[in-house]
Amino acid sequence: MRLTQILLSKIGKYSKDFSNLPDRYINRAMEQVEWKNPKGIQYKANTVLKRRKFKMGMHRPWTAQFREDNSPGVSHDKVWVEPIRKWSFFRGDRVEVLVGKDKGKQGIVKQIFQERNWVTVEGLNCVLEKMGERKDFAGVYLQIEKPLLVTNQVALVDPSDLEATPFEWRFTEDGEEVRVSTRTGRIIPMPPSAEETIDYKTKSTYKEQPKDTRADDVVQITFEPQLKTFEMDIMENIGIKEDRIPPKSYWY
Amino acid sequence: MSCVNLFFKRGISTSCARYGKRNFRKFPLFNKRGSKIFKEQRKDPNYDLPHDKRGVRDIGYNDQDGKFVLIPEKVPEIIVPDLKDFPLKPYVSYRTPDVIQSEFTAQDLFNVVYAPKIAKDFQEEKLNDDGSPVEPSPEELMTSEEARIKAEQTGTDLFTQGC
Repeated sequence: MRLTQILLSKIGKYSKDFSNLPDRYINRAMEQVEWKNPKGIQYKANTVLKRRKFKMGMHRPWTAQFREDNSPGVSHDKVWVEPIRKWSFFRGDRVEVLVGKDKGKQGIVKQIFQERNWVTVEGLNCVLEKMGERKDFAGVYLQIEKPLLVTNQVALVDPSDLEATPFEWRFTEDGEEVRVSTRTGRIIPMPPSAEETIDYKTKSTYKEQPKDTRADDVVQITFEPQLKTFEMDIMENIGIKEDRIPPKSYWY
Repeated sequence: MSCVNLFFKRGISTSCARYGKRNFRKFPLFNKRGSKIFKEQRKDPNYDLPHDKRGVRDIGYNDQDGKFVLIPEKVPEIIVPDLKDFPLKPYVSYRTPDVIQSEFTAQDLFNVVYAPKIAKDFQEEKLNDDGSPVEPSPEELMTSEEARIKAEQTGTDLFTQGC
């Protein structure tokens, strides 16, 4: 349990929110076990040799490129990341870029990489990358957004006057924690895209599929406590009657 | 001028195995692994390392002649009810709100099954001097012998832990 907790802490909550993948799958896809006790009765304690420090980049941990970047022989330099107490940049937030050739322009946050304190802004801070060049093929150019550091390369934009502003987390009268712009004092609301995942835009607009249990059916509590085990209940329902009396057994 | 090797010979290199790892500490010997003598020894059911069933349970046993005797009770019978028009499906819709239910303990079960009758008997003064009820319900009439028989019949989960 402790090992999985260490692994879990490596990937920030907002980095994996959009993918909507269960934690169990992410851990299983991420881990690269070099050696582990074979299955069967063992007479020595279990040893598991696996990588503990991963190189977090633009590729998500469950992808093949991440696996390649973190394959057994590959080592990487230590990446120093400033620990942020409260993550404040969400998908759909309007931000202003402060560095690079797109300095001064505003855009909307597209991807979050919490482990490196990065966000990608849609259409800004891009580079052109040539892909798929072969002898008979010139290759295609792709415009890829490069990540920006949340601490000093990007600033939240106050929606009331559309200017970059420093902000704080404060509590409303209802007890809700919100971001407040320190310059104007206006609340910066949570963007609706923050809830978005690859499977749905918002939970309430999700269209129920044939194999999905409907929300009303899930919420119903139909449990009636009875003095029966599950098997006894089934026996009674089907009509199986147990009349046999088991012979006495003794423990010596 | 270099000469071409027209005679193709195959070689078996034995040095690879000699240089290789020989870690036999964690070396589970499943059914086709091991030497001939080891496998012969394994056929004896009293041998220390018996034949590995790989998680499958036997549905009978071998008697003295070596013939297999089937025990019908050990053959698993999977009872699946008809799932037509059943509202619950394999997946859950993303729309569902969080349902928080407190743990259902043995005390809660007692409160539902036994407690109302005991309280009613006490209020109507239908209890004897030692506390036993004057009009016992079927659950209250059960003796320890009956309870032992019930705990060993089909449907019990006393020692099976739900498997």
